[in-house]
Amino acid sequence: MNSGAVKKTAVISLILGFLLTVVYQTTAEKSGQEISSDRWYKEEELRQSILQEQKENRQLEEEWRSLQRDVRAVEEEMAHREVSTFNLVEDLEKLRMLSGEVAVKGPGVEVTLNDHTYVPDGNNPNDYIVHERHIQQVVDELMLASAEAVSINGVRITRNSSIQCEGPVISVDNYTSTAPFVVRAIGDPDQLEAALELSGGVKDQLVNENIEVRMQQQSEILMDTVVGERET
Amino acid sequence: MWLPVVGVLFGVLLGLLTGASVPAAYTAYLLVAVLATVDTLCGGAKAGLQNEFDDALFLSGFLMNLVAALSLTFLGEQLSVDLYLAAVFAFGVRLFRNIAIIRRELITRCKYRKRL
Repeated sequence: MNSGAVKKTAVISLILGFLLTVVYQTTAEKSGQEISSDRWYKEEELRQSILQEQKENRQLEEEWRSLQRDVRAVEEEMAHREVSTFNLVEDLEKLRMLSGEVAVKGPGVEVTLNDHTYVPDGNNPNDYIVHERHIQQVVDELMLASAEAVSINGVRITRNSSIQCEGPVISVDNYTSTAPFVVRAIGDPDQLEAALELSGGVKDQLVNENIEVRMQQQSEILMDTVVGERET
Repeated sequence: MWLPVVGVLFGVLLGLLTGASVPAAYTAYLLVAVLATVDTLCGGAKAGLQNEFDDALFLSGFLMNLVAALSLTFLGEQLSVDLYLAAVFAFGVRLFRNIAIIRRELITRCKYRKRL
């Protein structure tokens, strides 16, 4: 082999060495890029967090859906209840009127009970005067006939009123009064009157017991609120 | 005789000092260039052993092979077909044939010397 060939071979060898080094450096760089940078870990982490978020989102969505279901159920229930609530409010208003917590105004009847003016000789005068049970009877009948409010001689009957007989006078909640006794009731006048005038009813019984009964429909009766507790 | 080895070392040193590297997209070109160089070296060694070494053939062969291989790789890249494999295949086959010839030549020389 001549020296020229060796020289030429050396030049090519130099090129080969250079190229090999470049290859080495290129591959080293590439693998370095892959391993040294913790991009992979970062990516993995981000992927994990995305999965986590998605999972959470799904859970929250489910929760939201169930809450919506609850709301819908409550709404339906409320729609059902509204009717019964309305009825309850109406009932409450009626009861308030009865117990005297609110002022009541409206048409009604007025029943006047009076002692019999003439007591035949030899008869017991006690059988000819108005007793507290008579008034009680009238009041009970009026209440039964769905009167909204009742008063005796201007004293309104409340939920815990008492009617007492004290000899010739009668005391309603410690308000004493004498005959004639005017019982006023607010309600449907026709209905109240009819209730009292039933044959064999209250009016007949009272007349049988020698009491003068006078009934009158009133177009408007006003009863005030009963304020505070009355002494009973 | 040691000049080629020194050349390789010098080339490595040059590469390390320049710190040259090739973008990942051009690794195919690099591979083909390396193969062409190795092929040329083996061809040269074979020719030297057979006393058929020719300067013009050696250098022109190296340059032509290199240009052809790189062109093929470029064409392959444009057509998105791995055409550089054709060059790799051709170089590989020739490389092994040359290595075989070198081996045979060396063995015959050893036998020849022993007989002497």
